[in-house]
Amino acid sequence: MEDKTLRKEKNPLKNIIILVIVAFFASLTLWGNAYFINLLTLLFLYLSLAQMWNLLAGYSGLVSLGQQIFVGLGGYCLAIMTEKYHQGLALSLVVAVAVCVAFAFVISFPIFKMRGVYFTIGTWIVAEALMIFFANWSFANYNIGYNIRMGYTFSPNIIYLMAYIIGIGSVALVFFLLRTKTGLALMSMRDNESAAEVRGVKLYGTKLRIFLLTAGYTGLTGAVLYLNMVYLTPDSAFTINWTVSMVFMVIIGGMGTIEGGIIGAVVYVIIQQYLYNFPGISMIILGAAAIAIILFLPKGIMGTLHSRYGWELFSVRRGLQNKGASVTSLKDILMK
Amino acid sequence: MNEILKVENLSISFGSNHVLCGLNMELYENEVLGIIGPNGAGKTVLLNILSGILKPTAGKIWFMGEDITNRSIVERTRKGFGRTFQVPRSFENMTAYENSLVGAAFGGDCKEKDCLEISSDILDLIGLGRQKQDFARKLGLLDRKRLEIGIALASRPKLLLLDEVAGGLTESELTDVLEIVQNIKAAGISVIWIEHVLQTMVDGTDRVLLLAEGRDIIHGLPQEIMDSKEVEEIYLGTDE
Repeated sequence: MEDKTLRKEKNPLKNIIILVIVAFFASLTLWGNAYFINLLTLLFLYLSLAQMWNLLAGYSGLVSLGQQIFVGLGGYCLAIMTEKYHQGLALSLVVAVAVCVAFAFVISFPIFKMRGVYFTIGTWIVAEALMIFFANWSFANYNIGYNIRMGYTFSPNIIYLMAYIIGIGSVALVFFLLRTKTGLALMSMRDNESAAEVRGVKLYGTKLRIFLLTAGYTGLTGAVLYLNMVYLTPDSAFTINWTVSMVFMVIIGGMGTIEGGIIGAVVYVIIQQYLYNFPGISMIILGAAAIAIILFLPKGIMGTLHSRYGWELFSVRRGLQNKGASVTSLKDILMK
Repeated sequence: MNEILKVENLSISFGSNHVLCGLNMELYENEVLGIIGPNGAGKTVLLNILSGILKPTAGKIWFMGEDITNRSIVERTRKGFGRTFQVPRSFENMTAYENSLVGAAFGGDCKEKDCLEISSDILDLIGLGRQKQDFARKLGLLDRKRLEIGIALASRPKLLLLDEVAGGLTESELTDVLEIVQNIKAAGISVIWIEHVLQTMVDGTDRVLLLAEGRDIIHGLPQEIMDSKEVEEIYLGTDE
């Protein structure tokens, strides 16, 4: 069977609601104030990070603690391309994505030999090694890092629109991916990996494709994050805090659901704003919140809503076809 | 009748525990072979080896004349192996229809339109026509077992491995399962059926093999095997 979109259920009302929300956020550049624009820029970029980690861990079972690799590489590609080679933004972003995908492909060989917790630790070690490498690499300006001056040339509204496209794009990407044959494989892997394999799902190939896809998109997000933040060093670019925030958002929202990443990103960005006042204990508060959610809502907010009430905004359910004549025997089916 | 599956000198050990010790067996086209034996006899291990989940320590497996001993799980599925599990392993957060679709789309080599039709038709045939849009986690035990068989059938297998599908079912539910197996046989699919419910072996198989201590103790017609001294000794023990 070709990897086309399999037949899905359609719900016009949900589509209208989604379009209204999307249009509302697009119009913010016309009337939103600076604080709000900045907040939503962060929200959309974090939304993208959450969607990618959810796709990786929630659907493919690849629980990586090393996604900061791609945030950092994306940021560094942008910095080096614009500061060292004086290239434009578009080419810099293309290079960021390409480098992240290429790096993910190279490390996939040793990393994919690891299973479970070893994979998790392995990805973290690669990120830590990269941090040390960049801090000692003259080409990347050692520990000094880069001041990305291109960031000053764009207005906050333009950067917001980039973040908006990346954030909405990440949701659309996951949504449409889940509606393909690969999506069917991912959902079966999410529910029971070993059973999926027995049914004919190629685990390695599917996981590799998702690893490369999420690496590229996380790299793109990282580049725009640093375009907004303007300054990067190895310590900030490759810090595990990036992945901690991704894990937090997905756990709070609900692993293995599209809406979970959205809810998680909103909650995280709001909490983060308040926690700026408590820098010493911010991580403790985030950790405590995550533990409380795991204990009382182990499926996260969206996962609980879905399992209790069947509620979902982005349905990837496959509807039944209108059938012609009914088949009378198994032999008829086998002959098809 | 042609052989569809041949197992030669199959052995597997876990440390010093020899679970299968040089097992030889064959299965013919359109045959339902029942395998019985006490707990720990190696029945499920045998199915795990046949479906590629476990690698044998020694021995060969031939499927339709091809040596598939070193073939992966996915390759075996795509060559025509279907299987069910003792504890149903359906995809809980997917509907019955989507579960069936996974079998058709990945196990069966079919076009998109055919996959969609097959997935739906299979559920009608195995008695899940009304539950197609229900999530797998909401189904009862019999329906989950039906769904397991449905997913396996959706991949249009040539050989179906059934692992204790009758376990935990009521008498009327057993009749339903027997009917499903008869339909599977009528469709030309060969079946290896592991079971503890011995009556289903008499009613639903062509031949029965008694497996104990990793060996083929005796095999033959179902009623003959059930009446044999070996079955009595293994299931009820000896006087000594």
